Amino acid sequence: MEQIVLETKGLTKRFGNVTSLDRVDMQVRKGEWVSIMGPSGSGKTTMLNLLSCLDAPSEGEYILDGVATATLTEKQRVAVRREKIGLIFQQFHLVPYLTALENVMLAQYYHSMIDSKDAEQALVHVGLGHRIGHLPSQLSGGEQQRVCIARALINQPAIILADEPTGNLDEANEEVVLNLFQELHREGRTIILVTHNPELAEYSDRVIRLHHGRVQNDASAH
Amino acid sequence: MFFLMLRQSFFRGRKRKALATITIVLAASLITALMNISIDVGDKMSKEMKSYGANINMVPKSENISLEIGGVDYNPLEGQVLIDQKELPKIKDIFWHNNIVGYAPFLKVTAELAGSGKRRVPLVGTEFDRVTPVAGDEEFRTGVKVVNPYWQVHGEWPADDDGGAILAGAGLAREMNLKAGDRIRVKVAGEKGGEEIFTVKGILTTSGAEESGLVAPLQVVQRLAGLEGKVQSVSVSALTVPEDKLSRKARNSSDKLDSAEYDRWYCTAYVSSITHQIEEAIPNVTARPIWQVAASEGAVVNKIQLLMIVVTVAAFIASGLGISSLMVTTIMERSREIGLMKALGAADWEVYLLFLSESAVVGVVGGLLGCAAGYGLSQVIGLSVFGSTVAFSPIVIPVNVAISVMIALAGSLMPSRLITKLYPAEVLHGRR
Ligand SMILES: Nc1ncnc2c1ncn2[C@@H]1O[C@H](COP(=O)(O)OP(=O)(O)O)[C@@H](O)[C@H]1O
Ligand SMILES: [Mg+2]
Repeated sequence: MEQIVLETKGLTKRFGNVTSLDRVDMQVRKGEWVSIMGPSGSGKTTMLNLLSCLDAPSEGEYILDGVATATLTEKQRVAVRREKIGLIFQQFHLVPYLTALENVMLAQYYHSMIDSKDAEQALVHVGLGHRIGHLPSQLSGGEQQRVCIARALINQPAIILADEPTGNLDEANEEVVLNLFQELHREGRTIILVTHNPELAEYSDRVIRLHHGRVQNDASAH
Repeated sequence: MFFLMLRQSFFRGRKRKALATITIVLAASLITALMNISIDVGDKMSKEMKSYGANINMVPKSENISLEIGGVDYNPLEGQVLIDQKELPKIKDIFWHNNIVGYAPFLKVTAELAGSGKRRVPLVGTEFDRVTPVAGDEEFRTGVKVVNPYWQVHGEWPADDDGGAILAGAGLAREMNLKAGDRIRVKVAGEKGGEEIFTVKGILTTSGAEESGLVAPLQVVQRLAGLEGKVQSVSVSALTVPEDKLSRKARNSSDKLDSAEYDRWYCTAYVSSITHQIEEAIPNVTARPIWQVAASEGAVVNKIQLLMIVVTVAAFIASGLGISSLMVTTIMERSREIGLMKALGAADWEVYLLFLSESAVVGVVGGLLGCAAGYGLSQVIGLSVFGSTVAFSPIVIPVNVAISVMIALAGSLMPSRLITKLYPAEVLHGRR
């Protein structure tokens, strides 16, 4: 049996009297690619925020890479996020006044130490070796998302969490990003991907379907 | 990396920074100008007030009661105690000699005008604008032009060494139809009184008693009156500080001051301590402040300085608020960036540091530019209000840069709290 990287037990999140996430139990093994699907408002983003330690659950347990995170302070959650998680966003969130290379280096800076050689390598890895000196405004959507992916990978996180990474991309760029995820999967990275796109989910090992904050279905994609 | 971010944020976000910098530049230039002027305004205003005339009058210690009727003194001068003209440069020897702007000696005699029924008019001898060597300044120029700038001459001023030149008062000139270039014969009253034919160089307007008489160079009048080297009174124009409690106490009776108070009074340029020092320097004279002039000068300067301070503080607060609201906008605009930094593992203080450093740089740049602009502004104000440039006080630069940084930081501090409140989860995932 492969090593379990991430596990939740009865994970619940309430906002006022709205229960966005209701007693979710799940396990993700190392190297697994899990897709989370579900209609709008079903709690996908809430789930990802909890998994990325951007938010704390109302109830339940969340164990990430051996660390029980549910009871951590904000400061400790910042540290877990820095050490173990790579985040990819629908809107990329690149710092507009920094170049592609500098944006990747920013993640190194807040993690430990900057190393421009490493950062450059990460950009070459996502196929942007020729664009390292460009500002986000000079890059296409797909290229910006690849910078975002390079940034997520730079500190060798235990898991990569992506919230609708292709939501803002056209088909051609979606293809590029999909290929990149496949490659990451082949390299043995653990990926949790929130998506609306069934085609994208096709390629994952497993699909978890959320409905009204509850796991409706958790099955192999194939 | 930190400095890289700081630099890039400036170079690549120039437009955004420009607004904040301009706010600071405006504030700083205003504050520089106001500071510059308020430092200089005391002197400037005092000098300005000097155009209202001398503020100290010197007379011999035991001046005879003059018998004046219609501006003509019927008491013969011969018996009077007079001041020795040689003593006058000692006025510039006192502790506050730098504050003595000038002085003008006067000798007033009664003269008879020939050819108009021996009409009697006052004849005043004075110095107009004479180089008078004093200790420490061989080129010191003084005279009635310095002391009474409001004296106006239609025509030209006589030279102090021109024995045949005279000014006719405007009133007298009107009555007798005198104009520049006319010649008049003048005889000084009394047995020893000499006679001289003068050329009227100009018509004098003073709004005072001088208008109904004649004014001639001092030497000539002394000679005609047989009083060589003597003067009757001296008007002194001194830069003084406003009256306060101490000087009022001293005015009531200088005995009541204890020695520390006395020292402090003596070493302050009150009009009363300056007159006291003049009396010390020249034993046979009484120096009296002309209180109306001295008191109103002080009050006006005080009020203006207070006004400047109020305006400066207002400028300070206004720009602080300006920066504050700009900063709020900036943080709103950059909330995603802040959220991202936090998501990448930045601690709150790291985000603070970046934003406050940006503000500090804006403050320094704005402060320096503001100093330059403010210097220009203060000159414009100086020229248009006082008709002369304002002295530049170097102290203004560091003070202003410090103030600008303070404005920028103070303005940023409150909105920076928003940074703590900002949850990355809320700004990063599509919710906006
Ligand atoms: N910060 C919040 N405050 C209040 N309600 C929230 C908040 N975040 C999410 N919700 C609610 O939780 C539910 C799930 O939202 P979300 O996780 O964003 O759904 P999804 O990403 O699947 O579209 C929604 O009903 C939403 O209104
Ligand atoms: Mg969502």
